[in-house]
Amino acid sequence: MLEVRDIVKTFDGRAVVNRVSFEVRPGEIFALLGPNGAGKTTLIRMITDILKPDSGEIVLDGSRVGGDSRRQIAYLPEERGLYRRVSPIDVLVYYGELKGLSAHAARAAGLALLERMELAEWATKQVQTLSKGMQQKVQFCTALIGEPRLLILDEPFTGLDPLNTQLFEEILAERRAAGSTVLLSTHQMNKVEELCDRALMINRGHMVLYGSVRDFRRQYADHAVMVRCDRRPDAVTGVHGIEPADGDWKLMLEPSASPQSVLRDLVASGLGIESFSIATPPLEDVFVRVVREGLGLDHGRSGPTELEPATKGGAR
Amino acid sequence: MTLSWKRVLIVARREYLTAVKRKAFLFTLIVVPLYFGGVMALATRGQMSSARDSLRSFTRLGVVDSSGLYAAATRVLTTSMAVDPAGDPTKREAYRTDVVFYADQRSLERALRSGEIPQALIIPADYLASGALRRYSRADGVFTSNSVQRSIERWLTRNLLAGQADSLRIERATRPSLSMSQYTLNKAGEFESKDDRREMLEFMIPFMFSILLGMCIITGGQYLLQGVSEEKESRILESLLCTLSPEDLLAGKLLGLGATGLTLVGVWLGAGVALSGPMLALANMQLPATLLAFAFVYFLLGYLFYAGLMTGIGAVTNNMREAQQFAMMFTFANFVPFILLTNLLSKPDGPLAVGLSLFPPTAPTTMMLRLGTASANVPAWQIAASLVLLALSGWLVLRGAARVFRIGLLMTGKTPTLPEIWRWARAGR
Repeated sequence: MLEVRDIVKTFDGRAVVNRVSFEVRPGEIFALLGPNGAGKTTLIRMITDILKPDSGEIVLDGSRVGGDSRRQIAYLPEERGLYRRVSPIDVLVYYGELKGLSAHAARAAGLALLERMELAEWATKQVQTLSKGMQQKVQFCTALIGEPRLLILDEPFTGLDPLNTQLFEEILAERRAAGSTVLLSTHQMNKVEELCDRALMINRGHMVLYGSVRDFRRQYADHAVMVRCDRRPDAVTGVHGIEPADGDWKLMLEPSASPQSVLRDLVASGLGIESFSIATPPLEDVFVRVVREGLGLDHGRSGPTELEPATKGGAR
Repeated sequence: MTLSWKRVLIVARREYLTAVKRKAFLFTLIVVPLYFGGVMALATRGQMSSARDSLRSFTRLGVVDSSGLYAAATRVLTTSMAVDPAGDPTKREAYRTDVVFYADQRSLERALRSGEIPQALIIPADYLASGALRRYSRADGVFTSNSVQRSIERWLTRNLLAGQADSLRIERATRPSLSMSQYTLNKAGEFESKDDRREMLEFMIPFMFSILLGMCIITGGQYLLQGVSEEKESRILESLLCTLSPEDLLAGKLLGLGATGLTLVGVWLGAGVALSGPMLALANMQLPATLLAFAFVYFLLGYLFYAGLMTGIGAVTNNMREAQQFAMMFTFANFVPFILLTNLLSKPDGPLAVGLSLFPPTAPTTMMLRLGTASANVPAWQIAASLVLLALSGWLVLRGAARVFRIGLLMTGKTPTLPEIWRWARAGR
């Protein structure tokens, strides 16, 4: 779907994006992560052809981005804005036509989107009379109109109430089912865990993590298991510490022990076990650890922690 | 730079419709010509009525005659004035002034102070040799009334010559040219009559053409500045630029807002021709087609030049207020020829006029002034050089603006420095 190959972008002699490579597969929701100033927006601007990379290439469905590939990409930027003195439907018709729809088709698609966003009755009101949340929904519609193949969303959930967050998630799921691919840039790690299959984390323009979200968490997991049972699991072989954790018990394993051996021992001890899992840290903890570790990053080197074999043109 | 014309036209249509639907557009369309027309009518009428008022209040003239030349002078002074200088010269209005003689300056001054007389004249003993006179009046305005002075001069001449020549000669000496038909050589090499009405039209046509052109260029540029500033300020651009290239967006804006400017000037020009048509016909004048063609070409090139500047300014500034401040300096350049109007019209082929018509920022308005002036003889090379220079500089400015536009649109916060802008204009993204 989208292949970013070894791209570099320099501003005033400073590499803002430095040899970044990744691939977004068709139909997946892919997370782009990184602390503020990591280079995410510059990276997105290069994917959307607003900026040109100094070197490297960005390929969408086999062709370099630019020209008509724009119609396949839609972008909801973090810094949002709309024409204030026009109606939502007029904004959507304008965006729809720019994406290649006829005026008639753009109007029909715009009205359908506003209906789906529960904004039908506001279709002809001026944008400036809408609440901030409503404006955000209209802006989301501008990204969705024309059914783009690649949707790039930068912090789409910021400022939304839980109901609208759920609505956005439902629409994302619908789009995904319809074959769209989503590149999601966010600091809301719970949303990444919920929605995304794979992710790329960059820091100071360098790739620091690339792969499946589940693998990230496993990679940074403590050697521990989570167990929910009818009493405190004391005296289990291979366990050197026990911590309560939200009704579960976190068992810290000795290096020689394995989760399988500990499970066998727990069953043998006659405990009533309700659940058992490998203890993985929340993505937020992984993010903080990776960024902190990356503070002393050597600018001459770029490369993610190898969580998956480098894809074609992957990190080196 | 490859443009997607379909997208360019979509942007152009939106920009055009948005601009012409704005209340500000309608306001400009209707109120600006009314305002200018009103101001001009008021100024002309004001001048006329000021002359008339002076004569009306000139009811008495106090005289102290130390020369003895005016002992037998008439005690009544009559002045006539055309009711409408641009209309029928035979329709005149008469004003009567009584002449009162005083024995000495002291009594004259007393009468003036008490308001008994509004004007006073002292004719010294050596007047015949020196021609020196002293005129006193109650100060009631910044400027001395010419009509009153002319009236006194005629009374002096008439009474000085009384008994020395026949009445007809005396009348001619007081008014040697009651009417003087003037004939000037036209561009076809023929002498043609030049009356007041024609003279006024010959001034008004280039002036109005030039001012319309200047306003049209600036209006289009201002809309562009406003549009770019608004889009930048409201952060619309990032999602828009994902959909179309900055070049498509810029070209669409230039086209749409240029059409807005043309609509504005088209309506003004149409209304102007419709209203002034009878006057033009009366003066046996017609608007030459070449003048209209040149107006269109100069509008196009001038608009592109200024639009490039306005785009660049809109892209590098953070909000409308900041943009307006920068734009003001450039807008001013477009109107410099109007400050030098008298000089340019009196010497339409002089070095100043030639220089300003070659200098791109002032070329459109200056050249339209010169091309519309009947007495000007603009050589073809000057027109060609002016168009080439304007086109070349317009192309350079637009090219730089497109590059600055691409980078500047996404920059917020700090206004870039001049070296930064220069670097963007040269290097692009």
